[in-house]
Amino acid sequence: MEQANPLRPEGESKGGVLAHLERLETQMSRSCKQSEEPQSVQTQERVLGTKIQKLRHLRDDLRAAVQHRRGSVKACIANVEPNRTVEVNEQEALEEKLENVKAVLQAYHFTGLSGKLTSQGVCVCINTAFEGNLLDSYFVDLVIQKPLRIHHHSVPVFIPLEEIAAKYLQTNIQHFLFSLCEYLNAYSGRKYQADRLQSDFAALLTGPLQRNPLCNLLSFTYKLDPGGQSFPFCARLLYKDLTATLPTDVTVTCQGGEALSTSWEEQRASHETLFFTKPLHQVFASFARREKLDMSLVS
Amino acid sequence: MDETVAEFIKRTILKIPMNELTTILKAWDFLSENQLQTVNFRQRKESVVQHLIHLCEEKRASLNDAALLDIIYTQFHQHQKVWDVFQMSKGPGEDVDLFDMKQFKNSFKKILQRALKNVTVSFRETEENAVWIRIAWGTQYTKPNQYKPTYVVYYSQTPYAFKSSSTLRRNTPLLGQALTIASKHHQIVKMDLRSRYLDSLKAIVFKQYNQTFETHNSTTPLQERSLGLDINMDSRITHENIVEKQRVQRITQETFGDYPQPQLEFAQYKLETKFKSDLNGSILAEREEPLRCLIKFSSPHLLEALKSLAPAGIADAPLSPLLTCIPNKRKNYFKIRDK
Repeated sequence: MEQANPLRPEGESKGGVLAHLERLETQMSRSCKQSEEPQSVQTQERVLGTKIQKLRHLRDDLRAAVQHRRGSVKACIANVEPNRTVEVNEQEALEEKLENVKAVLQAYHFTGLSGKLTSQGVCVCINTAFEGNLLDSYFVDLVIQKPLRIHHHSVPVFIPLEEIAAKYLQTNIQHFLFSLCEYLNAYSGRKYQADRLQSDFAALLTGPLQRNPLCNLLSFTYKLDPGGQSFPFCARLLYKDLTATLPTDVTVTCQGGEALSTSWEEQRASHETLFFTKPLHQVFASFARREKLDMSLVS
Repeated sequence: MDETVAEFIKRTILKIPMNELTTILKAWDFLSENQLQTVNFRQRKESVVQHLIHLCEEKRASLNDAALLDIIYTQFHQHQKVWDVFQMSKGPGEDVDLFDMKQFKNSFKKILQRALKNVTVSFRETEENAVWIRIAWGTQYTKPNQYKPTYVVYYSQTPYAFKSSSTLRRNTPLLGQALTIASKHHQIVKMDLRSRYLDSLKAIVFKQYNQTFETHNSTTPLQERSLGLDINMDSRITHENIVEKQRVQRITQETFGDYPQPQLEFAQYKLETKFKSDLNGSILAEREEPLRCLIKFSSPHLLEALKSLAPAGIADAPLSPLLTCIPNKRKNYFKIRDK
């Protein structure tokens, strides 16, 4: 207690720390005295404990009573009391209506074009499809102001949305939406064909499929009999009409032979026609079928 | 392997932080798995680099391979560059864009090589239909400087390209020309938009910063939102201005939405307006010429900062449309003149 605190003058530190210690000491002795009445504390504990147990009993009794009541109510409903069933029927009818409405709203997705009003305008949902397969959905959120504007959207960046909007959005919103639907459906369809070609008919392709973001230029080489002796064909498909899923220009050439035998020439020409008229994956499906047919004839 | 190429690869690898080294080397795909397994990546960096250079020499790395490594490094460290945005346009009634990647690359390279004999052009395609182009510039008489390249990120079949700003500005017109012609456009214009964050620029330019859309399936948006009030707070304590707080919250939500804002570092306003004053006879009010001044707002995340101004009580809601129109107008450089 004689130590001088170098950071504080002696008098101050005695007042501060030592006084504090004294106070703590008196507190301790006081609480010791209190604990010399352990019996009262213990009796208090016992009293509270019994109270807790009583309350618990009460709670369990009440719970049992609630269960009992519920059971009897259910039994009553089962006994076809006219008032009760009317209420229940109304409730069920409303629920059915709600389910119906929800189902109808979901079904709108299948029409390809649906929308929901928002606080500032409308959020249009375009669901694309090709050959009965539901494909990707795209959203366009429009804000109804003068001028009408697109707030945000999930249309891919290479679809000419700005152009279509510049042409139609202000004057004829219907035309805008239908035009956009056309572009998106056609894009989805072309993408679907290219994806199917890559995934299902990779065996017939002799090199990677070259494609661009819009899937309107496809270039690939293929063989009718993979691993066989025939020359591969090179195909180049151009889709100049972005609202169409079939190509506008098709060139099929045969690698490795300037002078083609007439049978090869016929095949080449027929392939060109096929690519013009049928979707890409269907053409390849027919190739694969023909191959199977040939194989089965040979064996 | 050429000494300059070796030096270039060495300097590039030295820039790469150790924890990214294996990822970047794998993305480069130049050294095989077996070769990479022989390297002890726990050594000191200099030793690792030496070993890697040795392996590159064994495989005879070319300038093109080195350039590709540089592209990959930059792709991982996009924020180290500042990106400008360019918009191209086609003439009226032009044909549909039948983009052919091979044709584009050949055409782009040829145009640059015809103008400047010495130029290194490299390409790397990414999955989001974008092609990264790296150009190292030389002149008719000097070899290309590999340490000051320009990067262009072009999204094919869109009119937009992003270019890293560089100090060598004299090549920008040529670059613009090459890009325009190779992508079959007519004109190229620089947009008033600039940032370090390429994804944010992309989100703003393509208007894709908000990807949540209301549908009938989605849960209804919360109309009663907690104002961040402490739920455990004593019910005897209320906010006096709760109505005002709710109004501010609503307006902020309508303006900025609930989605994360794209990241920009600044907005710059160049004013050329006449001084407007209520006091007659003030010196400035009599000036015929417009006052010129420049106001610049900077922030690590400008749009989030603007969004928090009104709720924090620092500014009135609604904010000035000059501030809130930034993502919508796709600009962060403005020139304001008297109408």
